[in-house]
Amino acid sequence: MRLVSFIVVTLLALIAWPAAAQAPGQRHIAIDLVAESDRPAAGSEVTLAFVSRPQAGWHGYWRNPGDAGVETQAAWTLPAGVTAGPIVYPVPHRLLIAGLMNYVYEGPFTQFVTLTVPAGLAAGTALPIAVKLDYLVCTNEICVPESASLATTLTVGDGAVTAERRAEFDGWRRAIPKPLGSPATFAVDGDRFRLAVPFPAAAAAKDVYFFPITDGVIDYAAPQSVTRDGDLLMIETKAKPGRHPTLEGVLHTGDGQGFSLTAAPGAVAAPAPAMAWNAALIAFAGAVLGGLILNVMPCVFPILSLKALSLAKANAAEGKAEAIAYTLGVVLVCVALGGVLLALRAGGASVGWAFQLQDPRVILVLLLLVTGIAFNLAGLFELAAPGMANRMAASGRGGAFMTGALAAFVATPCTGPFMGAALGAALVLPWWGALAVFAGLGLGLALPFLLIAFIPALRRRLPKPGAWMETMRRILSVPMFLTALALAWVLGKQAGVDGMTIGLAAATLLAAGLWWTGLRQAKGRALAWLPGTVAAVIALAAVGAITRAPPAQAGVAASGAEPFSEARLAELRAAGRPVFAYFTADWCVTCKVNEKAVIETAAVRDALAKGEVAVLVGDWTDGDPVLGRFISAHNRAGVPLYLWYTNGRPKPEVLPQLLTQAMLTGRAGS
Amino acid sequence: MRLAFATIALATALAVPAAAEQVTGTPAGNFKLTDMSGRTVELAQFKGKTVVLEWNNPGCPFVQKHYNSGNMQKTQAAARAQGAVWLTINSGAPGKQGYMTGPEAQAFVAKEKATPTNYLLDPRGVVGKGYGAKTTPQMFIIDAKGTLVYQGGIDDKPTANTADIATARNHVTAALDEMKAGKPVSVAESRPYGCSVKYPES
Repeated sequence: MRLVSFIVVTLLALIAWPAAAQAPGQRHIAIDLVAESDRPAAGSEVTLAFVSRPQAGWHGYWRNPGDAGVETQAAWTLPAGVTAGPIVYPVPHRLLIAGLMNYVYEGPFTQFVTLTVPAGLAAGTALPIAVKLDYLVCTNEICVPESASLATTLTVGDGAVTAERRAEFDGWRRAIPKPLGSPATFAVDGDRFRLAVPFPAAAAAKDVYFFPITDGVIDYAAPQSVTRDGDLLMIETKAKPGRHPTLEGVLHTGDGQGFSLTAAPGAVAAPAPAMAWNAALIAFAGAVLGGLILNVMPCVFPILSLKALSLAKANAAEGKAEAIAYTLGVVLVCVALGGVLLALRAGGASVGWAFQLQDPRVILVLLLLVTGIAFNLAGLFELAAPGMANRMAASGRGGAFMTGALAAFVATPCTGPFMGAALGAALVLPWWGALAVFAGLGLGLALPFLLIAFIPALRRRLPKPGAWMETMRRILSVPMFLTALALAWVLGKQAGVDGMTIGLAAATLLAAGLWWTGLRQAKGRALAWLPGTVAAVIALAAVGAITRAPPAQAGVAASGAEPFSEARLAELRAAGRPVFAYFTADWCVTCKVNEKAVIETAAVRDALAKGEVAVLVGDWTDGDPVLGRFISAHNRAGVPLYLWYTNGRPKPEVLPQLLTQAMLTGRAGS
Repeated sequence: MRLAFATIALATALAVPAAAEQVTGTPAGNFKLTDMSGRTVELAQFKGKTVVLEWNNPGCPFVQKHYNSGNMQKTQAAARAQGAVWLTINSGAPGKQGYMTGPEAQAFVAKEKATPTNYLLDPRGVVGKGYGAKTTPQMFIIDAKGTLVYQGGIDDKPTANTADIATARNHVTAALDEMKAGKPVSVAESRPYGCSVKYPES
């Protein structure tokens, strides 16, 4: 008896000891093991969650910890036949400490594991689940490896999930990367790594970062540069030596959301230097021409005339030196203005404004700018302070360089028309292209002065300032109005009739305000700019009212499709209709290609209509968990998913991810 | 204190990216550091001998795994017995975990009964960054000709659990044995694991 009690006490001590050693209070990450269903059905899967809360100042590690750290290890103790899948991690954060990159979680995070319950277990069978997690938890200074022994007991049942538990899991699921569904490509060229990810131009992305799962492909601490070119998102960073047959990772696209992707080696174009050079050359030439035309603007031409006269008095060598100094002054001021604008653009991009022509809000701002410029050229109101500019230029104080700089700077308001065009270009061009445009504008502005200094014969041919300049200005307003018209059309395409109407209303309001300003200017009233400024502010506020017209809905309406819901699917099936259900997302290029080339074609639409096939569309753009569950019930992790329900068959046919028209027309006709 | 980081020949300086990592199979970058007794030690002075570099931080649990179990001392002794030079390097910055002065390093070596050829101090992290050392422990092996033949972790079980040492492949011992037998190093690179090197904030 004494021996038995000794053994029992020893056993109890052995069991109790690890528990005491791992009291939750001593750990730096508190972890709870939660099952989505406490009563999973036999022959099904149930999701388990490790709900983790690091202490303030401590962080846990992602699957790939980065330059240092280790991955979490799970050692399971499971009933016979029950298996656990790998740990699925939410999108991590970046933490750069003293030049070393760590992929971590600095706040609460939840990992998932899928548990498979074998078929044939009787309801009521207890399933004791135990796991020992070994993980690393660190502050910026120190690291502690910890272990957590977690256990729960599930009971074989009907797989029911309580509403409360479902809501919790759906919340955690939003942080899990969604499968992108389109294959990416990567290339290593010397020490440069490039990744091309199919990602529709219309899908939003900010603070983009590629978290590699495959180790040794890229230098984690090196900055990543992101460019978007149509339906491709490109990431360039520093490569590590070595070749890799494949690359896995997670693409962060803002707000803790991400996409898991697999990339194969292939050709990834460097951000197309040849094409970009052409484009930049054209933009540069256009800017030089624009700068040249600027010279005949009423407020600039007098400066030129005065300087030309002073040049005529100077000797040739002095004149040339003065002309070069003047040119430098003009170009530098123009480039500096461009630099300020690029800094503003960078600031905007960091808070998530993508200056792309695909964004209707950008189009609206450009529409208002161009409208204002056009009305200025037409003479509705004035921008210049020509008297001041003339005084500055004529005095010649501070040398030719300063005169040039002042001429460009003081004349900026009345160079508005072309500055405006350059501004618009600078918002959408790469930074060096934008600077080239501004430099070209300056060069064009200084060009006549340079020519006069170097070819004295031209001085006599210089036209005299006069009324012809005003006529020239009025004529130039016509192309500007046409530009505004084109922008209004683009706005209409992107934001629909409502968006275009808002845009035109804003432009009308702006014009009325500027007209009022012009009237006050003509009468020489004080505060002439007040009405114009107020109108401009109100007009710009319309940006908030502009939203993108959902293009999917337009397509849906055309093909007679309805939004997907399981209830609607059951209803249509009960009515004996064949159903084609497809699941798509705005960020899925493969989906969009299939829709354009197959689903939304006339042939398919007609065939579906003729076969009386109901079409249901599930939009998974925002990762709706209800749709997500339906998709994963068909053994797919994400979109695209194409299901064909034939009358009388209980299960749908899962069509391939790359559709052909024949696949749909054939089934609709049978 | 003089700290210098220079490549063995100017010609290779162009091939080795500055302040980046060393490329396996190419000449390892030379360096000079002050040792725990205040003397200057240069890598080039060991030419003709195999050199093992070990990045160390006595406060790191992963380093403790290999010292408390005696695994690091055993690996050191085996290397020294083969005639190899073993340099333990500490790139921890003053005020950070694991930073040691010369006398503290001497005390550490004595307490752990470690037998490195020398213990070198790199408080500015110049040599650590030049070698791309990211974790503690992290190991490098340079052959008699000065070529870097191994860089990575001490073994293939990236855990803090002492029990894993018995079943792990010790990459350093394996490489040294292969080199002694005149064979090429079969695992020339592995992923190092452990705590991050506590470099100064730059």
